[in-house]
Amino acid sequence: MRHFTTFLSIQESAGTISMIGTFVVVAVVLFVVLTSGKAEDKYEAKKKVYYYRRRYFWGLMALAFITLLISFKWMPYSKTSDVDEEVVTVVGFQWGWRMVNGASKDAPKDMMGESEITIPAGKTIKFDVTSIDVNHNFAIYDKSGNCVTQSQAMPGYHNNLRYKFQKPGNYKILCLEYCGVPHAFMVGEVHVK
Amino acid sequence: MEELTTTEYKKQRKLIIVWGITFLVVFPLLVTLGMLMRISHAELADISAERFYSFMTLHGLGMIGLLFSFAFAGIWYLLSTRYVKLKLSVGYFVYITVLLSVIGLAVAALIGKFGPGWYLLYPLPFIGGSWPVWTTGLSTVSLLALGVGWLIGILHVLYAMAKEYGGFTNMLGWQYIKNKEDKREIPVIVLASTISLVPGVLAILAGAVLLIMYLLQVMEPSLNFDALMLKNIVMFFGHTIANITMYCAVTWVYTLLPEYTKRPWYVDKVLVYSWNATFFFVCIAFLHHMYMDLEQPLYLQIIGQVASYSSAIPATAITMFGIISQLYHSRVKWGVVPLTFLFGAAGWAIGGLSAVVDSTISFNKVLHNTLWVPAHFHTYMLLGVVLFIFGYLYYVAGEKKDIHTGGVAKLGLWTYIIGAAGFLLMFYYGGMNSVPRRYNTYSGMGVDATHQAGVYGAKIAVFSIGILFIGLLIMYVTLFLKLTKKDETKNLD
Repeated sequence: MRHFTTFLSIQESAGTISMIGTFVVVAVVLFVVLTSGKAEDKYEAKKKVYYYRRRYFWGLMALAFITLLISFKWMPYSKTSDVDEEVVTVVGFQWGWRMVNGASKDAPKDMMGESEITIPAGKTIKFDVTSIDVNHNFAIYDKSGNCVTQSQAMPGYHNNLRYKFQKPGNYKILCLEYCGVPHAFMVGEVHVK
Repeated sequence: MEELTTTEYKKQRKLIIVWGITFLVVFPLLVTLGMLMRISHAELADISAERFYSFMTLHGLGMIGLLFSFAFAGIWYLLSTRYVKLKLSVGYFVYITVLLSVIGLAVAALIGKFGPGWYLLYPLPFIGGSWPVWTTGLSTVSLLALGVGWLIGILHVLYAMAKEYGGFTNMLGWQYIKNKEDKREIPVIVLASTISLVPGVLAILAGAVLLIMYLLQVMEPSLNFDALMLKNIVMFFGHTIANITMYCAVTWVYTLLPEYTKRPWYVDKVLVYSWNATFFFVCIAFLHHMYMDLEQPLYLQIIGQVASYSSAIPATAITMFGIISQLYHSRVKWGVVPLTFLFGAAGWAIGGLSAVVDSTISFNKVLHNTLWVPAHFHTYMLLGVVLFIFGYLYYVAGEKKDIHTGGVAKLGLWTYIIGAAGFLLMFYYGGMNSVPRRYNTYSGMGVDATHQAGVYGAKIAVFSIGILFIGLLIMYVTLFLKLTKKDETKNLD
């Protein structure tokens, strides 16, 4: 899933940011250890460190503010501008998925459906996700093993998850909320054509 | 406070040693449970799903219980031997309730195979579980007892500080903001402990409400509570307790590091603003656990991300820069205590950064409930809190003596860090490959790439835990030798 840049997925972006951060932290630790041998008056040393602290503080504030604003653009929540070209109703249960094309008129516990479904590529699909027993999580995995999006499936709530499948192919549905002993075997499939 | 008598000092010291030994016994047992879980992921041994999830539940509850309990005990010892009078009877009451609770949880998990995970996410403990009802009842009662023990201990500490320092607002350092000449000075540990422990009181009360609702449901199975509301409550409880465990441990660094650098660490206005801001961030950051509950009100989702981002500002700009200014050009002798404190702060920073990444909603939609989540909090705990604990234990074992030595201890520390780093790296690798968390096996998901990444990472993780154990063993031997040096402990008096 490549939202932020043209060459890194979200997962790769997360890994890259954390790796760069780790290098910076290790560099600071090395700097502190290597410079600790020199004696300096504590007030002078403090003054020097605090000079950088002020700059760090304002830099971090600015970075946090800008990142917040930018990142909100990709939130997975409903917007008034959303146009749902297709709807899929999803009901999670211990331990499987029932899915039907379109908005189901049945109550979740009465809805019949299959663990596999076929939907079109290139259209915005609204998944209406709920559960009839405990908490589950409806997570969509592509063929290369990347989670592309997800939503909790909670009893008593209907979560509307929107996603546009750009590429045709088979996508797996996994449960990402621990829901009991067979949790790791709760799978479904989406065929995108 | 009045001068502590030698006998009182010895009694308080005995209490922290009892806590220390308990930590040293229980910690590797809980690590072993974690190792067994990774062995199951690596497909090196066949562990039944029931057994796996009972291990997972005990590992989670046990670790949080153990680490927070020791973090609290560490504050107790420093306060009681330096700043305020604390009743030993209350200290032992906390110890015994924690111990009994842990035994109750262990019985439920190991004998009854109680396995709904640490968070007992409603309504899982009551629907479709493979564990008997008595295990839910026993675990609920044990957790309630744990909460009562912690609550009484924390309230006693807060009361004693309020008595000594002239009220609650003084403990929060507000007198520094008013800038009065005759203000009541407070040590940093009083400010930092207050900010750390008050959210703990709120979290425990929320946890108690939740557990009482669970007990009601055990007695009346037809009850039906709102799942999203209960998830918010359990996350407020669990996230806050895990979070303040770090802040409690940081109070030791504020108190002990100056003894090695000879640079006193005083409360000032900036520190007061920073820690008071932390109070709010700690109380509301838990909201980031509900990002994928798309029905949670949007404003709460945004508050969750803003609070999670904001918490990084005081933690790094004040505490970590404070640690740097303590050590920079200080001619500190790099004994094992200052080293563990510096490395622990680094682990906190690294785990904190990957937590901030995960707390970004647009990242969370693919990282949520993958191995990225245990990656960040294990970094925070294993290379943060646990390193602080070992630094603290070395301090207690040798007090300020032996600060220039400890070569073997440092070898143990490095071995531990290498093992922990390898173990953590595999969690991050798993998260980047979307490997789900809380799976007993990756063989049933039908996604080959994720399955392979999960197994491969788990194999390296198992090997790394082996290295971590060697590091622990070396540190244990050196700690044991320090503790049993009789002439040194006599000199302490």
